[in-house]
Amino acid sequence: MRVALAALLLCCSAGAGAQLLEFTDAETRAILRHGPWPAPWSRDPSNRVSGSDAAIELGERLFFDPRLSPSGQVLCATCHVPYRAWQDGRARAFGLADTERNTQSLLDVRYQRWFGWDGAGDSLWAQSVRPILEPREMGGSVAQAAALVRGDAELSCRFEKVFGAPVPAADEVVLAGIGKALAAFQETLLSGRSPFDEFRDALERRDRAAAAGYPLAAQRGLRIFIGRGNCGACHVGPAFSNGEFHDTGVPFFVAGGVDSGRHGGIRKLRANAFNLLGAYNDDRDGASAVKTRQVAEEHRNFGEFKVPSLRNAARTAPYMHNGSLATLADVVRHYSEINPDRLHSDGEAILKPLRLSAGESADLVAFLESLTESASALSPRRPAAPCRR
Amino acid sequence: MEERRNRIRRLAVALSAVSVCGAAAGCELPPGVRLETERIEISYRTNPATIEVGKPFVVELAACPRKGAGISERVRLDAHMPEHRHGMNYRVKVIPLAYGRYRSEGWLFHMPGRWEFVFDLGAERLTHSVRIE
Repeated sequence: MRVALAALLLCCSAGAGAQLLEFTDAETRAILRHGPWPAPWSRDPSNRVSGSDAAIELGERLFFDPRLSPSGQVLCATCHVPYRAWQDGRARAFGLADTERNTQSLLDVRYQRWFGWDGAGDSLWAQSVRPILEPREMGGSVAQAAALVRGDAELSCRFEKVFGAPVPAADEVVLAGIGKALAAFQETLLSGRSPFDEFRDALERRDRAAAAGYPLAAQRGLRIFIGRGNCGACHVGPAFSNGEFHDTGVPFFVAGGVDSGRHGGIRKLRANAFNLLGAYNDDRDGASAVKTRQVAEEHRNFGEFKVPSLRNAARTAPYMHNGSLATLADVVRHYSEINPDRLHSDGEAILKPLRLSAGESADLVAFLESLTESASALSPRRPAAPCRR
Repeated sequence: MEERRNRIRRLAVALSAVSVCGAAAGCELPPGVRLETERIEISYRTNPATIEVGKPFVVELAACPRKGAGISERVRLDAHMPEHRHGMNYRVKVIPLAYGRYRSEGWLFHMPGRWEFVFDLGAERLTHSVRIE
């Protein structure tokens, strides 16, 4: 008891009521690598209207326009609901019909390299086109989407201003433009700073008093995250994701078959006319398309799904590619008790059962909850004035 | 267009190979990490110089033959994580620039930890480990 008390006093040197664990230098370096937030970002070279105010305005209009679906009943915001951290809270997405996958949040989507759980999109604009054409989501067509923009005075005026030319005659070019405007809008959806970010920055400037304001349970959970849990092997950097794909032992059986995940995603990517190797990539030097050209299709990709960001994870339940885990505690339990024999990874030896105690599991959840933004980083938008040519 | 560019590149490499037949002795390696076997010396460097997890990078490779040996036309580059028993999610493209000079793209280390570069130049296989944080 005395030993435990002494250890507690040693490790907690900040003021009364606030405690700070003694993180080692290696731990501190690992923590600092998850910031600063917001992380630097540059415009998407494959989208010439990335970052353009006019494109953001057009993209926002399109995002909330149900006419992109011929049904008039489904809009981007049906699944990406602003007040639900830009996802829908459902296990699996439902547009015009049920789908097999959970809707991912759009917050911080601008930092991603691949899009969708299977990475079938290699740009945010290509990914934005996909649900418009998907029969179970918006059920539209290239011709119908192009006709909407051509036939609507406000949209066609804005399209012309964004791209500097009248709405083109080729439907596919118009749809690529719609995708690029939608992407420009989504690039503005950024997470606000979280209690973790305050803690991380306090550690960086060696402000122990400020760092000690971070809940002790979250500190203990963070220590597991960067240490024994090895969570930082995949959830790296300020966005807490390496942007790549892994099999985490979540079943991939779906009605009538299997969800092949990344394996099928690479095939869809290569077949997509809107991929970065196609005619609509605005990147003249081609550097943005290297990943698409060089991505390897391996047997182990079967059942792999993208590593999601953990920012605002507490607001984006349910979890995993199929929404099969309802709470963060369920996710922690999944990794704590994972069965390596169920992993489909050709000998990849990363995930092992953590066998966390109840207290450790609660601490890890407390850390994940501390990644929730304290306040939104998004400023309310004013309605834009009608477009004039 | 790409095929034409490749043809020109191959021709340039072949011509430079002819012109440097006796140039091995004068073959100078640019700054970088140096590795060698009995038959070859190489240097490589990455751009950017510091490899970050999840960020693409380029590898520039230079090779000089030793003791009258040649350099194989078959150059393959790769990397893997021995402890994790997996490689990269990308296949590297090697672009010959001149005799013994290559630029390779498509590199991305998606996890922190120890990665091993593998430089496979015909019969010569050189490796180098780096730790990525």
